[in-house]
Amino acid sequence: MRTVGRPRTVDAAQSSLALLLNLVRTETATTRQELERHSELGRAVVADRLTTMIDLGLLREGELGQATGGRAPRQMRFRQDAGSLLVSAIDQNSIALGVADLNGQMLVEHHEAARLDAGPEAILERLATIFDWLLKETEKPAPWGIGLALPGPIEKPAAVFGTVPVLQGMQSWQGFPFLERLSMRYGVPIFARSGVQTMTMGEAKAGGGRGLSDIIYVKLGRSITAGLISEGRLHRGAQGAAGMIGHSRVGDELLGAVAGADALAREGMAAAEDGRSPYLAQVLLRQGEVSVVDIGHAAQLGDLFCVELLGRCGRMVGEALAPLTNLINPALIVIGGLVAESGGDSLLAGIREAVYRQSHPMVSRDLQIMRSQMGASAGLVGAAQVVVEELFSSSTLQGWIGHGTPLRHPDFQRGLERYKRTLALEMAPSGQTAP
Amino acid sequence: MSGPTDMSIAGLGPHGERAVPADQIQLTESDAAKARARRFSVAVVLHTTTSDWSKQELAGIAATLGHYSAAVVEVVDCNFDVELQIAALTRLARRPVDAIISIPIGNARVASAHRNLTQSGCKLVLLDNAPTGMLPGTDYASVVSTDNFGLGESCASMLSAHIPANGAAGILGYGIDFFATHEREIAFRKWMSLHRPDITLVRERFAELDGAGQAALAMVDKTPGLSGIFAVWDVPAMKAVRALAERGREVPITTVDLGNDVALEMARHGMIKGVGAQLPYDQGSAAARVTLAALLGLQVPPWVALAGREVRPFDVIEAYQVIWHMPAPKVIIDSVRATTVIQN
Repeated sequence: MRTVGRPRTVDAAQSSLALLLNLVRTETATTRQELERHSELGRAVVADRLTTMIDLGLLREGELGQATGGRAPRQMRFRQDAGSLLVSAIDQNSIALGVADLNGQMLVEHHEAARLDAGPEAILERLATIFDWLLKETEKPAPWGIGLALPGPIEKPAAVFGTVPVLQGMQSWQGFPFLERLSMRYGVPIFARSGVQTMTMGEAKAGGGRGLSDIIYVKLGRSITAGLISEGRLHRGAQGAAGMIGHSRVGDELLGAVAGADALAREGMAAAEDGRSPYLAQVLLRQGEVSVVDIGHAAQLGDLFCVELLGRCGRMVGEALAPLTNLINPALIVIGGLVAESGGDSLLAGIREAVYRQSHPMVSRDLQIMRSQMGASAGLVGAAQVVVEELFSSSTLQGWIGHGTPLRHPDFQRGLERYKRTLALEMAPSGQTAP
Repeated sequence: MSGPTDMSIAGLGPHGERAVPADQIQLTESDAAKARARRFSVAVVLHTTTSDWSKQELAGIAATLGHYSAAVVEVVDCNFDVELQIAALTRLARRPVDAIISIPIGNARVASAHRNLTQSGCKLVLLDNAPTGMLPGTDYASVVSTDNFGLGESCASMLSAHIPANGAAGILGYGIDFFATHEREIAFRKWMSLHRPDITLVRERFAELDGAGQAALAMVDKTPGLSGIFAVWDVPAMKAVRALAERGREVPITTVDLGNDVALEMARHGMIKGVGAQLPYDQGSAAARVTLAALLGLQVPPWVALAGREVRPFDVIEAYQVIWHMPAPKVIIDSVRATTVIQN
């Protein structure tokens, strides 16, 4: 990105527009004087570009700023309502959907139970139904992009607007063009990340990590994964698969297999059957099964077995986190996911004990370890943030700013054409057979 | 304690939380003693104080808080006005109250006034909904709500019996951005698409209550084969009943909440065929217990939910007693008797 000196190439207009838009959008500079100083562009150029962007509907003139002698300057504001972002976080047993503005601020959200193994067609239909409803009923502006969080690692696409296959580990999802179909349905670009990566971004943007540039987020659910923001940037890894800490060894076993929600439920079930946990025995009698939610509730009520079980789970997770803590030196570790939501204080105490014991004193001196307060909303906020960062990255922005909307970015339009052709081909040979 | 028509909790919380059932929130003897010793003061901020729902909600809050020697020092009626609510919350943030129980009107516009309250050191317990962007722990202690998703599903299943194969059903929706009515409508649509995909759904919205009757008529006019209507709560449902009756039309309706008018209409075997009812007294009582737990520094779940109760014409009297904690009015009892005699 060019930040110093005047642009000299043929795309000078595009690059100065992009630079100014991002300065205003991030509120780094909002008055003409500040914009001239930060962009190192001349007064006439700044004035011309601002007029262009007001005409394109991307900026508006806002309130008066602080006067520094003479007239108070008029502040420029980004039109965060010029479009909207559709976001969804899909998990094994639930889906979350929302609409955000162009700053990534959530405007409305909805969560409901859903089963991933119902297959991609059913999930796609449900997403589309609710997105349509939310857009229409809550009168939100037309979408500019979709952000999607999915369980499991998501590969990096080859190009900005490229798509990748998702959830290939599940048989019913294999070969299904999920991202392409959703992108085509709304005619907008789509960006996908793993659930834990979007949750990490959500925590950094609106949760406990607000304002911090180095955080680790750990999702303790049926599997155990982690996300990392280092020096303000999400770390995705070479293939996009960073954070699979559930694969670390604990003795002869994998961490995910001994400290995940299923393992805890199994242990709880055993304790209910042989009477080690009186509370869980009652739960079993009443419900016929024991879940990690029951274990958390039992621990809160002082059931010794459950307090001990969650403490042990916490220590195992903490032991896997300690080397990372030494390597990364985070300011904050956020613990989320079903086990954390249910687990409460005993779990957190176990994690703290192991991490603090095994970390360098300087690393642990100001380190905070907290439970997520955002729940599944973290995934939605993070997915919106992913779309914002992608659409407004300097290079992508230069490709569309002259048109006023990313939907007219030439690369995206070419991509859309490509999906249409591929999907048409896929539909053609099977055709409609007699029922 | 659960009766035969109690529903389980179908929906997820405002941040996708799994519900903790309200009856699991109980204070132990020693918690109760601590609470009594500290004599907490609590203010309540409601959208209105004149509806049946509000009166019962307040009764549940006041009785339970009183039981633990906590005083309700102020009740604010916001009269559905966002500005009034913001002003009330801003004023309360400077008053020496320990906690506030509030029902946020609207979504984003009231968020920061609620946030400021928590920042002033007050415990905040929300009824029904958390405005988008507000977080449990940081911005509020807990949301105590009826399972609105379950209410919507229940209304769909009760209406379904009145819609013939390949028929049409209408949704009388609320044109304001409001979480509880959104959830009911989404759930109604979901149930229909899963269990009755043959039904065509149409929808009209009203932004003002007085427009609800007109919206129902518009729906009937546009869709001649309309066989049933779901109204997102009882007051617009009764507006629809009156408008349709004036027009000489009889359309089966299901709705949420057993207001007096709706109960009477059901007892008469009129247009209202089923109700998914909230239990406002129990919700108020649960909100009071959550508030006390939070004030004592106990960990409270971010989403506490109560299942609704399905009400049909045959058990309207018993349901009335469960929901309103009082006997059904004589006119309702007489109507049920009269229709039973006729049927026999």
